[in-house]
Amino acid sequence: MKGKTKITIDYARCGDGVGVDPRACAACLRACDPAVFLLHETIGAIEDNPYDPQKWRVTPLWIDLCTRCMKCVDVCPEKAVSVAW
Amino acid sequence: MCDLCMKHGAGGKWYLNAEHYSQAIAEKYNLRDFLMEQYKNFEQISVRKVHGFNAVGMGYKLKMPIIGRIVKYAAEKMLHSTRPPKNPFRAEGHIGQIVPLEDAVAILRTCAAEPIIEKNCMCRYMSRGVKEACCINFGVMSEIVDKLPRFIPEKDKFFLTRQQAIDRFTEHNRKGYIGSIWFGPFPYINNLCSCASPECAGIRPRVDYGITSIYKAEYIVDFDPDKCTGCGVCVARCQFKAIGCDHALKRITVDYEACFGCGVCRHACKQKALFLKPRDEFPGYEERY
Ligand code: SF4
Ligand code: SF4
Ligand code: SF4
Ligand code: SF4
Ligand code: SF4
Repeated sequence: MKGKTKITIDYARCGDGVGVDPRACAACLRACDPAVFLLHETIGAIEDNPYDPQKWRVTPLWIDLCTRCMKCVDVCPEKAVSVAW
Repeated sequence: MCDLCMKHGAGGKWYLNAEHYSQAIAEKYNLRDFLMEQYKNFEQISVRKVHGFNAVGMGYKLKMPIIGRIVKYAAEKMLHSTRPPKNPFRAEGHIGQIVPLEDAVAILRTCAAEPIIEKNCMCRYMSRGVKEACCINFGVMSEIVDKLPRFIPEKDKFFLTRQQAIDRFTEHNRKGYIGSIWFGPFPYINNLCSCASPECAGIRPRVDYGITSIYKAEYIVDFDPDKCTGCGVCVARCQFKAIGCDHALKRITVDYEACFGCGVCRHACKQKALFLKPRDEFPGYEERY
């Protein structure tokens, strides 16, 4: 694959920024064939309250394995995912 | 593989050394607290920075000429560590090996420390958001998971007898999930997993990035050309792309280097043409774990 891919999740639409719990959706994780995304608690959650259910987010982790299929962008109900290169 | 493992297991297999499963080891390194700390926040280990690095976009870093080599070296040093484990936010001494069904059954029958449980696979949860109960845990690890609700499937199916654990593992293996046994952390063995690629965070570094995060099995697959009809059913079963199909010859071809020796392809073959052979019977592949 030519060049670097840039994948961003807008945490003002999904995740701890707005308190939308990505565990209830996880559509992007399931749509992605190479399993690029990681569902996890925020680092901050450990410092304040490790059990806070609102402290989860999705991070694009294995970015170089993205095939640029755009399925994650299409399935996201919050329009929070973008993929560019 | 470290000397300690190679010398002490039954038939050279470190995972058949019951000592590695013992309560005494867990107590000696105070692993109850260590594992609790690690599993409480398990999903975010990959995004935590250690010495300024985390795994986000790691593939690009690995492709850089000098940095790439440093990252690979640091990752393997951490995973292969045999020093007393210190930092629960790192995958220190977390190294595993692929095991076929027979060896997994031997582990469950004779080595695994009780209590035995089956928990939700962390990798599938982290990468797909799905909960699937297929990770079998032993001893102190089982006690810890009991306190972490998100890993617990239906409570009544949580604790398993040895026979139930064998039955569950067999079911997963027949489905095509790859058996793997893990130090977590060295020298304590507490995880017998049934993995899928690309979801498994233990297999991915090896398959996609060439980091030895897991060793291949003590076996390699072979087949009986008289029995094989070239139907090709086994080809799709292999998660490591080790089997090809020669349509003209009406038989499969096997890539010994690519084969991880998991043995799950065997379950797919109606002709019973596939079998595992010890790795050291393949000249040139003996030490290539
Ligand atoms: S574009 Fe396709 S491959 Fe890339 S992250 Fe999205 S779903 Fe995955
Ligand atoms: S698909 Fe969109 S809303 Fe759903 S988890 Fe992914 S980023 Fe969040
Ligand atoms: S190692 Fe395998 S079974 Fe265990 S958590 Fe990861 S994918 Fe699941
Ligand atoms: S499933 Fe059996 S018979 Fe069919 S191609 Fe594979 S080894 Fe041959
Ligand atoms: S060919 Fe090797 S790696 Fe592939 S399924 Fe069979 S035993 Fe496993």
